[in-house]
Amino acid sequence: MPDALAISDLRFTHRKSAGTSFTLEIGELTVPEGDQVLLQGTSGSGKSTLLHLIAGLIDPEAGEIRVAGRDIHKLKGAARDHFRGKHVGMIFQTHQLLGGFTAAENVMAALAFSDVPKAEHDKRASELLNRLGIERHGATPEELSIGQQQRVAVARALACGPELVLADEPTASLDPENAMVAVELMKEVCTERGAALVCVSHDPSLVKAFARTVALDALQPSGEPAA
Amino acid sequence: MPVTDFTFVSRSLSARTFSTITTILTVAVAVALLLVLLGMRDSGRKAFERGTGNMHLLLSRDASPLVSVLNGVYYAGAPRRPIDWASYQQIQQQYPWAWAIPTQIGDSFKGRPVLATTTEFFTAFEPSPGEPWQIAEGRFFETSFELVVGADAAKALGLTVGQRLSVTHGAPGPGGKLPEGAHVHDEFVYQIVGILKPTGSAHDRSLFSDLDSSWTLHAHDRRLVSEGPNIALTTPADLTDADRLITGIYCRLITRPGRDVTAVLQQVFEQLRADPTITVAQPSDEVRKLFAIVSNLDQIIIGIAFVVLAASGVSIMLALYNTMEQRRRQIAVLRVLGATRGKIFGLVMTESALIGIFGFVVGLVGSLIGATVVADLMYQRLGIVVDPSIDPKIAFGVALGTVALATIAGLVPAIVAYRVSVVRNLRPAA
Repeated sequence: MPDALAISDLRFTHRKSAGTSFTLEIGELTVPEGDQVLLQGTSGSGKSTLLHLIAGLIDPEAGEIRVAGRDIHKLKGAARDHFRGKHVGMIFQTHQLLGGFTAAENVMAALAFSDVPKAEHDKRASELLNRLGIERHGATPEELSIGQQQRVAVARALACGPELVLADEPTASLDPENAMVAVELMKEVCTERGAALVCVSHDPSLVKAFARTVALDALQPSGEPAA
Repeated sequence: MPVTDFTFVSRSLSARTFSTITTILTVAVAVALLLVLLGMRDSGRKAFERGTGNMHLLLSRDASPLVSVLNGVYYAGAPRRPIDWASYQQIQQQYPWAWAIPTQIGDSFKGRPVLATTTEFFTAFEPSPGEPWQIAEGRFFETSFELVVGADAAKALGLTVGQRLSVTHGAPGPGGKLPEGAHVHDEFVYQIVGILKPTGSAHDRSLFSDLDSSWTLHAHDRRLVSEGPNIALTTPADLTDADRLITGIYCRLITRPGRDVTAVLQQVFEQLRADPTITVAQPSDEVRKLFAIVSNLDQIIIGIAFVVLAASGVSIMLALYNTMEQRRRQIAVLRVLGATRGKIFGLVMTESALIGIFGFVVGLVGSLIGATVVADLMYQRLGIVVDPSIDPKIAFGVALGTVALATIAGLVPAIVAYRVSVVRNLRPAA
């Protein structure tokens, strides 16, 4: 089986609006199938940018990013969008649930762009929400607590059965106690579904939740990769 | 229920109900205006043409040919200057008529005109070419003081065969208003002997009797003035030449199969025009002239309707464009979930087209109501029976145009949606 994620010789220069820029360089990073990694870095170190590169939302200047054995940046246009929808799930700091859509519909929104048969959408969404402890499937995001919204976002990320889940500061809007509960649940569900998890965070308290932690600075070609 | 493209579009529309409804209403107003104008123009012309039937010429002593047609065929008012019977007979004998039917308008019943004529009116004149009169109930009149009632008059006034009534001296003008001095001839009682089937012409709102009845009524008025109030009831035997007056003559030249009547018609027309006491009208020409006069205004109004429709397209574009700012984040999320740029473009275009479709449907309903109101007004004011239905071909054309316009209007917002930067719009709000 191919690795869920394999990055090699990646370089991307991020130009900020103020005229400043920083260059993100990663010599090598591999996340085997079902593995869980916490990527740590300070604010502005390029953590979110790395996730966007992995998801194929932006293109690197150099290097290769293989997701489930496929170089995502070799795919163009709609093919890349389809690939992302099927193989990559994303969880955001602010959850980014669709307003006006119920919890179940938010999960099914991800399935709407997949090749999963329509007859299975409802069942799959209900199953995931139940597993994540969401009882009110018909509640809209506004009617759910922050913690519940986060769990709906996790369900949505896993709806299409991706090989890789990317979580961008998933605990940033939660208190420390709930943050740990949420991370544990997220890890559990990813393990159950066989999805690898790459979580980026600047929160040092999450280190103990992950068996593998990587400091972004250490991934620079000149640095020492952390284990 | 699975989430489909329609879910995304309908949620987007319902998320801004007020804006969606006002935009749909803007489109609907333009569509209704356009449908009523295009539809009524067509059915209005048909209604006018239908009333003139198979006559070639209408003779009267009205001020102009157009007035002659409006009064003599559409009952717009009572002609003021009559034609005496001797003149009628002379005209009748002088030209190669297939028929020359005398008519007299001057009486009414509850605001409906009473046309006095001969039985030839029902046997020779056809209110619509190729469609002769048909009796719904009873028969045509045969003797004096028998009435035949047009379909619409019978329905509106609740008249039935066998009913007896007295008519009013004085024909209603525009709006059904009677002239000063109008009075009911209680002394003379008519009996309804027949109800006509609808013809779709102005004749449907009229009642019909023979000329002797009408002449007798007016002769009685004359005798009351000259001989005093204690006279015996006037009979046809009391009629003098001065009583035998008519207001119009429906004429048709003799035609033979395969022979064009145009040349003879023109010749007769010119000869009659040489007589300064007669007004000669070719009803179909007068209707054409009337529509030529009206068409300038008509074209301006239709032009305005198209401008309103174009403006409604702009309002669709603005309504969708203004929501793009709020929807960038949602679009970015959909892209992350696997939606292609093309899919996002298509969703916005579908949304725009849906506004056009809803606008058309609401506009169509509005146009049917509007057409009924306009048809009623035309009937009340001009006596023209206009079919208020909208021609399906016109409706289909306007539907296609509206959806096409709405789709074009959606192009700019759809391009904006297509170009939304996913990364920029996924950043947490400050």
